[in-house]
Amino acid sequence: MLGEFEYLLVTAAATLGDQAYGAAIREEIEATAGRKCSVGALYTTIDRLESKGLVKTWMGEATAERGGRAKRMVRVTAKGVVEAKAFYEAVMRVSRGASWSTGRAGSAS
Amino acid sequence: MSSASWSLVEFASQLLARDEREAVLGDLAEVGESAWQGLLGVLGLVVRRQVLGWRSWRPWLAGFVVAMPSSYLLVAISGSVSATFQRLVLHKTVPWAPTGHEGFLLLLCHVFLLIAWSWTVGFVIGSLSRGTVWISIAICTGMISYCAHHLVAGVLSKVFLTLFFVPAIWGLWQGVRISKITLRAAVSLGMTITGVMIAAWSSAALWAPNWFLVLPVWYLVAMTWRQTAGNSAASCSPTQREI
Repeated sequence: MLGEFEYLLVTAAATLGDQAYGAAIREEIEATAGRKCSVGALYTTIDRLESKGLVKTWMGEATAERGGRAKRMVRVTAKGVVEAKAFYEAVMRVSRGASWSTGRAGSAS
Repeated sequence: MSSASWSLVEFASQLLARDEREAVLGDLAEVGESAWQGLLGVLGLVVRRQVLGWRSWRPWLAGFVVAMPSSYLLVAISGSVSATFQRLVLHKTVPWAPTGHEGFLLLLCHVFLLIAWSWTVGFVIGSLSRGTVWISIAICTGMISYCAHHLVAGVLSKVFLTLFFVPAIWGLWQGVRISKITLRAAVSLGMTITGVMIAAWSSAALWAPNWFLVLPVWYLVAMTWRQTAGNSAASCSPTQREI
């Protein structure tokens, strides 16, 4: 099962498609999840996901706006899609009875 | 970012692997973060890499099981070869002959072994601990300094104790960059080293502790065999090349 941050990263990479690379994924996570994403967390998580076979990475082209430096491109593998779907479905199942899921008022206590 | 701040970030990023450095510095430039944020980001990644690296058994094996004892033995062998060379070739009186070996043939054996052992030890350390290789180098340096002061102080110039540096650094560099050799090359190296060691041993020209140095080369053979057997399909990353 994926971890929460792993799920965010895989989802961001899948959303970005062919444009998924370090900086773009980071911006996507920060914009959609509303949380800070450090360079360290991003790249160590990408490595972990790659070692699990959930994403594939390669060095892309260099651009002028990056000071002539190459991008590390990321693509979600078929196994990554399966794992992300399993995580999503688990979250949906476990949330089914929760007040924030059904829209009815409730408290944690 | 100012160029001075950039220089600081780029300096810190030298602790990262080449491709990762390229990607991270490019990301920082593209997003336009401040130098301070960039520096914190790079250092955070470096710390995470080191912490993750030391969670594996490999850097421990490289640093404390291979680098530490091997550097002690290689310093001693460098001194021994130097002493023998000075006696045989330069006809100097050097009152230090730890292995008791004499004669040009045995000297050649020891020169060969010194180069082969050093390269192998360097290669194994490099391939085992790419991300934490600086710690292994620090351990080696500490051991060499200790030996230089305590082992043969006053008998030989300290320069002669470092004959193994060039092949060891060459092996280390190749281990970090290439990380594996072909099975045939590994087996040939293992058999040659073992054969020459047996020949030297049978002439009473080898310290018993030197047999420790046969372990890295057979570890290399076992590692290469395992990679070759289990491999072909997945295991090679695109950056790995064979020699």
